Amino acid sequence: MKALILVGGFGTRLRPLTLSVPKPLVDFANKPMILHQIEALKAIGVTEVVLAINYQPEVMLNFLKDFEAKLEIKITCSQETEPLGTAGPLALARDKLIDESGDPFFVLNSDVISEYPLKEMIEFHKSHGGEASIMVTKVDEPSKYGVVVTEESTGKVERFVEKPKLFVGNKINAGIYLLNPSVLDRIQLRPTSIEKEIFPKIAAEGKLYAMVLPGFWMDIGQPKDYITGLRLYLDSLRKKASPKLATGTNIIGNVLVDESAKIGEGCLIGPDVAIGPGCVVESGVRLSCCTVMRGVRIKKHACISSSIIGWHSTVGQWARVENMTILGEDVHVCDEIYSNGGVVLPHKEIKSSILKPEIVM
Amino acid sequence: MGGSEERVVAVIMVGGPTKGTRFRPLSLNTPKPLFPLAGQPMVNHPISACKRIPNLAQIYLIGFYEEREFALFVSSISNELRVPVRYLKEDKPHGSAGGLYNFRDQIMEESPSHIFLLNCDVCCSFPLAEMLEAHISYRGMGTILVIEVSPESANQFGELVADPVTNELLHYTEKPETFVSDRINCGVYIFTPDIFTAIQGVSSQRKDRATLRRVSSFEALQPANRSLPSDFVRLDQDILSPLAGKKQFYVYETTDYWEQIKTPGMSLKCSGLYLAQFRRTSPDLLASGDGTKNAAISGNVYIHPSAKVHPTAKIGPNASISANARIGAGVRLVHCIILDDVEIKENAVVIHAIVGWKSSIGRWSRVQASGDHNTKLGVTILGESVTVEDEVVVINSIVLPNKTMNVSVQEEIIL
Repeated sequence: MKALILVGGFGTRLRPLTLSVPKPLVDFANKPMILHQIEALKAIGVTEVVLAINYQPEVMLNFLKDFEAKLEIKITCSQETEPLGTAGPLALARDKLIDESGDPFFVLNSDVISEYPLKEMIEFHKSHGGEASIMVTKVDEPSKYGVVVTEESTGKVERFVEKPKLFVGNKINAGIYLLNPSVLDRIQLRPTSIEKEIFPKIAAEGKLYAMVLPGFWMDIGQPKDYITGLRLYLDSLRKKASPKLATGTNIIGNVLVDESAKIGEGCLIGPDVAIGPGCVVESGVRLSCCTVMRGVRIKKHACISSSIIGWHSTVGQWARVENMTILGEDVHVCDEIYSNGGVVLPHKEIKSSILKPEIVM
Repeated sequence: MGGSEERVVAVIMVGGPTKGTRFRPLSLNTPKPLFPLAGQPMVNHPISACKRIPNLAQIYLIGFYEEREFALFVSSISNELRVPVRYLKEDKPHGSAGGLYNFRDQIMEESPSHIFLLNCDVCCSFPLAEMLEAHISYRGMGTILVIEVSPESANQFGELVADPVTNELLHYTEKPETFVSDRINCGVYIFTPDIFTAIQGVSSQRKDRATLRRVSSFEALQPANRSLPSDFVRLDQDILSPLAGKKQFYVYETTDYWEQIKTPGMSLKCSGLYLAQFRRTSPDLLASGDGTKNAAISGNVYIHPSAKVHPTAKIGPNASISANARIGAGVRLVHCIILDDVEIKENAVVIHAIVGWKSSIGRWSRVQASGDHNTKLGVTILGESVTVEDEVVVINSIVLPNKTMNVSVQEEIIL
C-alpha cells in the first residue's frame, strides 16, 4: 500500500523551531513529527510513503535516508514548484500513488497527531464500498473549523460547512484520508483545496464516508497546540500501559525521558514532560508541561512550565521559564532570569528577564 | 626612496552568522556585510574607501562566515575595483586584536609598512588617506579614528581622551558607566607592524600571571575557567586601555558623519548617509527624473539599472531600489530600501521601510513606520518573500520571511 503525507510549506507557525529544521523534523515526544506518521503507516503494511513538500527538500532527503534504512520502508519526496493547496499535491504524485494493485492509498496531514487507527480505517473503507473515507474528530468549538455533516448510521458524508455560524454538527475533518485511485482522476494539477473542491463533489455523489476517530487528535502546527498535544499523546501512552513512560519518586504523571538523558537529585518532573536525547537536568529542577529537546542542559534549581526548550539550549540556575516560552535552537537563558512567554529566535543569550510575552530576535 | 616601498594592507572585520543577531530578520537569509546600502553591499563602502589609500597592496576580509558565502563577492569585487581582496575565515573567536594576530603571516606577506583595521558595520566617510598622513607624522604604533558625539550617547562606545596639541591617546575606556569623554572610538584604526608584538605581549602576559581585578562575590564563586584563553585579545580593553598615555597611540578626529550599522533600522539611516555622500562625490550614480519620461525623483535616490520603475511613480527622498525590482504605476516610495526582485503594485505606498528580496506589495497597500531608527519597530522590515495583499496596511512591524499579510497590523512582530 502507498501513502502521501502533506507536509506543505515553511511551518511559520512553529517558528522559531522551524528556523532551524523543516517542520516535519521538529521533534514531538522525542521523535521527529513525521516519524510518528511513518511508523503508523509502516505498522499496517504501507510499503512506500511520498512526502509532498515545497521547502528545503535537501534537508529532508538527508534525514529520510536514515529513516528508510532503519524502518525498511521506501520514502520519496514530491516537490511542488508552486503551492498546490491540499489536493494538488496528490495529482503531482499520481504516478507514485497508483500501481497495478488498484489498492486505495492513505493521505495524512503532517501537522496532525493521533492514535492512527489505520487498520480500522481500512476495514471501514472496505465495508462501505465508497470511493473515499475520511476520519473526523469531535471538537468543542466546531465553528473554528470546517464541519463535516454525516448521516448518523452509515457515516455517509452529506456536506461540508466551513466555519458555520449556527451549530450544524461537532465533527471536523481530522486530516486522515483513505482514497481509491479513482479520486486522482478528479484532481487537476493546479492549486486545489481537497475540502472545498474535491470532497464536496464526492459527497454529492454519495461516495464519501466519514469515520469518527477513536482516541485523541491534535493539530500540533503551533506551539500552544503542541503542548496540549503532548499531554494527549502521553495520556494515550498511559492508557496503553506503555513501558516508555518514566517511573520513579521524582516523576509525577506522564513523563517521557530518553535513555541517554540524565536527571539529577531532588528534581520533580511532570506531569506531561518529554526530555530528549543527551539532555542534562541538574539537581533541584522542577519541570511540568514542557518539552526539552535534544542536547539541552537545565541548570540547578530552575523551574520550567508550559514551555518548549529548543535543541542545545541552556536554562540557567534558578531561572524560571513559563507561560508558553519557546526557546529556539542554541538559546542560553542566564542564571536567575525570568521568562514569561518569551519567544526567542536561535543563537541568543537572554541576559535580562522577559516580564511579558514578547518575541526576542 | 622610502615612499615607493611603503605598501599598505587593509583588514576589514566582517563578523559572522551567529554574532549580530540584532540584524535579524534581514540577516536570516543574507550575511550582514553583503546587505546593500545605497545600492552596494555594506562591505563595499569601506573597500571603496581603501582604494583611496596610496600604495594599497591588499585587502583582507576576516570573519566567521563560511568561505563559500564570500567566494563570489570577493572574486567579483577584486575584478571590479582592480584590488586583490581575500576572505579569511576565523576558526574560533580570538577577540578584535587576536583575530588580526591570528592572520599575521598573510597580512605581513608583502611586508606592508602600515595596516588599516576597519569594522565592516561602521558607516562613515573613511578618511583613510588623511589618517595615513597623520599617522606617519605622529610616529606612533597606531592611530585611531575618533568623533565627537553627544555626552548622553557616548557611553555606548569606547570613550577616549586625547592631548589636544599632540593628539596622543591619553586615556581609553570601553562603555563606562560614568561620563569620561565625548570623543569616541569609530572602529577604524591604522597600525604599524609592531602592533603584532604588542598583541603577542598581551597573550604571553596572560599566560604567565593571573590578572588582578575586582570581582563580585558571586563571580568569585565561579570556577576558575571563566578567565580568557591566552590567545583571546581584545583591542580596546587589552591594548588601547593599558597603552594609553605611553606615546604609542594617537587619534585622528573626523567631523563627518559616523554611525554603527547594528540593526535594520540603522541600515536604512546609513543607506541615506551614503546616498548623500554619492551626491557629493559621484552624483552620476544617483537617479534623476521629473515624471515625464522617467519617474519623478526627489532627493537622493539609487535605482539599479535592471529595475523597472513606472513613470507615474514618485521616488525619494532616500530611496534605494535593487536589481530586477518592479515599481508599478502611481507608487510612492520614501525613505526605504527595496531589495532584489521585489514587485510593488499600483498606487502602493512605502515609507520608512525595508522590503525584502522577492516580496510583493499589493495595490493600494501601505507599508510604513515612524522612522525612528533607534527603536525596535521604528522602521518596518519585511523579510524575504513576504506578500502584502491589496489594500493591507502594515505599520511599525517586522515580518519574517515567507509570510502573507492579508490583514492590517500595527506594532507587531510576525513570526
